[in-house]
Amino acid sequence: MRDMLSAALKASRADYTEIRIEEREASRVSFRGPELETASTVLDKGGIVRCLVRGGGWGVATFNDLTDISRRVEQAYEGARAIQGELIDLAEVPVSEDRVTVPLEQDFRGVPLTEKRRLAAGYNDILRTFDPAIIDTSTSYWDSFSRVTYANSEGTLVEEERPMVNVSVSAMARADGNVQRAFEGVSKVSGFGAVLGHEEMVREVAERAVALLKAPRVKGGRYTVVCNPKLAGVFAHEAFGHLSEADFVYANPQAQEMMVLGRRFGQDILNIVDDGSIPGLRGSHKYDDEGVPAGRSDLIKDGVLVGRLHSRETAAKMGERPTGNARATGYRYPPIVRMTNTYVDSGDTSFEDMIADVELGIYACDAFGGQTALENFSFSSAYAYMIREGRIEEMVRDVILAGNLFHTLMSIEAVGNDFEWADFGMCGKGQGGGLPVAIGSPHIRIRDVAIGGD
Amino acid sequence: MSDNAVSVLERLSQRADQAEVFGIDSESTAVSFEASKLKSFDVSQTGGLAARAMHEGRLGFAAAGGAGSEDQLIDNVIESARHGDAIDLRFPGTSPAGGVEVYDPRLATLPADRLIEIGQEVIEIIRSADDQALVSMDLERQVRRTVVLNSSGARADEEKSTLSVSMRVEKVQSDDVLMVFRYFSTARWNEDYREVAESLAESLRRARRQATLRSGRMPVLFSPSGAVVLGLPLMMGLDGKDVYRGISPLAGRVGERLFDDKLTLSDDPTLPGRPGSGDYDDEAVPRRRSSLIERGELRGFLYDLKTAAQAGVEPTGSGERGLFSPPSPSFSNLVLDPGTTPLKDIIAGLDEALLVESPLGLGQGNVISGAFSNSLSLGFKIERGEVVGRVKDVAIAGNVYEDLQHIAALSQETEWVYGGMSLPYVLLPSLNVVTKA
Repeated sequence: MRDMLSAALKASRADYTEIRIEEREASRVSFRGPELETASTVLDKGGIVRCLVRGGGWGVATFNDLTDISRRVEQAYEGARAIQGELIDLAEVPVSEDRVTVPLEQDFRGVPLTEKRRLAAGYNDILRTFDPAIIDTSTSYWDSFSRVTYANSEGTLVEEERPMVNVSVSAMARADGNVQRAFEGVSKVSGFGAVLGHEEMVREVAERAVALLKAPRVKGGRYTVVCNPKLAGVFAHEAFGHLSEADFVYANPQAQEMMVLGRRFGQDILNIVDDGSIPGLRGSHKYDDEGVPAGRSDLIKDGVLVGRLHSRETAAKMGERPTGNARATGYRYPPIVRMTNTYVDSGDTSFEDMIADVELGIYACDAFGGQTALENFSFSSAYAYMIREGRIEEMVRDVILAGNLFHTLMSIEAVGNDFEWADFGMCGKGQGGGLPVAIGSPHIRIRDVAIGGD
Repeated sequence: MSDNAVSVLERLSQRADQAEVFGIDSESTAVSFEASKLKSFDVSQTGGLAARAMHEGRLGFAAAGGAGSEDQLIDNVIESARHGDAIDLRFPGTSPAGGVEVYDPRLATLPADRLIEIGQEVIEIIRSADDQALVSMDLERQVRRTVVLNSSGARADEEKSTLSVSMRVEKVQSDDVLMVFRYFSTARWNEDYREVAESLAESLRRARRQATLRSGRMPVLFSPSGAVVLGLPLMMGLDGKDVYRGISPLAGRVGERLFDDKLTLSDDPTLPGRPGSGDYDDEAVPRRRSSLIERGELRGFLYDLKTAAQAGVEPTGSGERGLFSPPSPSFSNLVLDPGTTPLKDIIAGLDEALLVESPLGLGQGNVISGAFSNSLSLGFKIERGEVVGRVKDVAIAGNVYEDLQHIAALSQETEWVYGGMSLPYVLLPSLNVVTKA
């Protein structure tokens, strides 16, 4: 493979050429209710070439017939020449030559489907037998092992293994017309052992789905909201993180003004970081999909915007340092600026202190999803409780937080000392399918949040 | 690809009681604009095979991208069938179908230069509304060949050509961000992308002025792209899988009048020139129009082979799949029949109302229950019969199973949105609106 890539790069007529080849093997076992939906293994391999020529643009060729890579390089070169564009520069990065293997204890590729099925069936049975109100379940085990080979005409050549093992469970409970859902998942860069022994987590999901049936809808209005670490992490990713991706601002002077470094976004207690180099997390890799080493980027420090996430192109255009955040969802796509592991850093408020002086508020937990249209965001918490006179009281449902990003970040008035990573996260920016990311945060408290509802 | 599919089917048939092979091969040319400038040029070729087998009453599945992994594909599907659950499923034999037009040589051979010209036309139209607008756009011409073969003798070949244009404008003024987007797709050459660009330009014009809206119950007019808020819960509720699992609120209610009698909803894969159309579904079952809601009365659901076998009903030709996942019931073209009122008359008749153009948070929350609660990335105030300006920080909430019992009006105009939905403007007489004001 290495020789083939080197030869194709050498033959390229473009000023810059890169080739990325990905081979992937993935297996999945999923249950829906009592029935097995699938127990299967899929294989995929393919590649992408990107070329730049002076005075042209990006020429791209994607393919999964690997027999003639030189021809794909030629296609990408012709594509780049077809564009009369502005000069595209790439920020300078060190040339890397590396082979990254990820040793797995109990490699899931060696675990027979029978055993994966047994594991998923066990979790699924816990959900199904918990309570007659649970009318539907979805339980999935899946793993994926990718080997990415990246080479460019500057001499970088890296091979990196990207394994991932996952379990997700979801229970649907129904009473008359009222249907409620609860879910949870585990996802690790790890061997098969990482998804064993989560029976307690599964029982909590079943319990929560049933409890939600009795929970009243939240009364709409403006509240002080305490977000648990998972919801706060989703907030940091969705509401703020996407604005810190340089591809949003680098070609738009007005957006650059809005996101100017040095602007205050929050109180002194607010710190938001993206770090793709933390071992073992979903968003981690040693090199991004441009062969740039992943690293730590402070985004908000002491409440002030201090950094943003870059590809080589956006970094060059803005005269900033490349950060190793060019990521692709697979060989079918060119890399774009993406987050890796994004988190709100620890503060010093205990959870008890955070709720102690809340007269009427909401304790919102986990997220069904989140979406942002830049300054506006909307996310729904998976479950929530009322806070009354400093105490967590009854469960409520349909808690959807909506609002304006700038106002809401400024309104974060306490950051907890109980930091946690959430195991699970998919980012759906652009491109087909989700990209694994990790999110983390302690509890945070936000005042004056609009909550939809009756 | 097709030769490979035939040979995999033959070999798989020797090792299983029934076999099916799905092959896909697609090639595309795409260009992207960023900040109104041509940015990249992309050619793509991908393909692969997926296979299913019934063995000793159990169903297995496997897939492989590219070529050269056929032996492993066959081993994997046999292994998968050993673990599958028991099901009584029979792959369909040959049945005649045909005539739905989804291939147009004018599209299939559309040169890249033409894509670039289309992009420039779109930018020009948008800039007539706002000469500062920065337009991001992806234009793609694709030809996709699929084949479904099975051991019952069916063979369904399809060749489909599509053109898609997704356009987006992001406008930032101090802390105010305006995002407007549209999506156009077709399987038959036409220049309707111009209309779509005009519609985006119109939104930019409307958004120049801002307006404030009170909180409370008021009439809400959904544009076709906004009406997806109402369509999404129905699409889940009408999915045969959710019905069979008992989680759809519509389960067991066929024949009941559950909605306003202005509501007629169908799935129609026979519409010519639509990317969602075709002669056969991805399991070689002939496609047909399915009436789902007729004048407010629930008529039926969508089924693929497996879900139909489980539920003991006939498949509706609604099995769709990507390469790497087994088929599931899917909408081809969701069609909400238009009403009789011209849009301008609907707007003229409103004293104070909200016009919903693009909701945020689609698919979040408890969608299957019918509940929706969305803030808006773009909405307008209608006052004394006119659209007077953009409203910010607005959210709507309701439940389609309650709120679609009374529809005040449907426009006679319809638009294709999100590629596969044909919707009119929908006016609901009274919905809960929350604003900052």
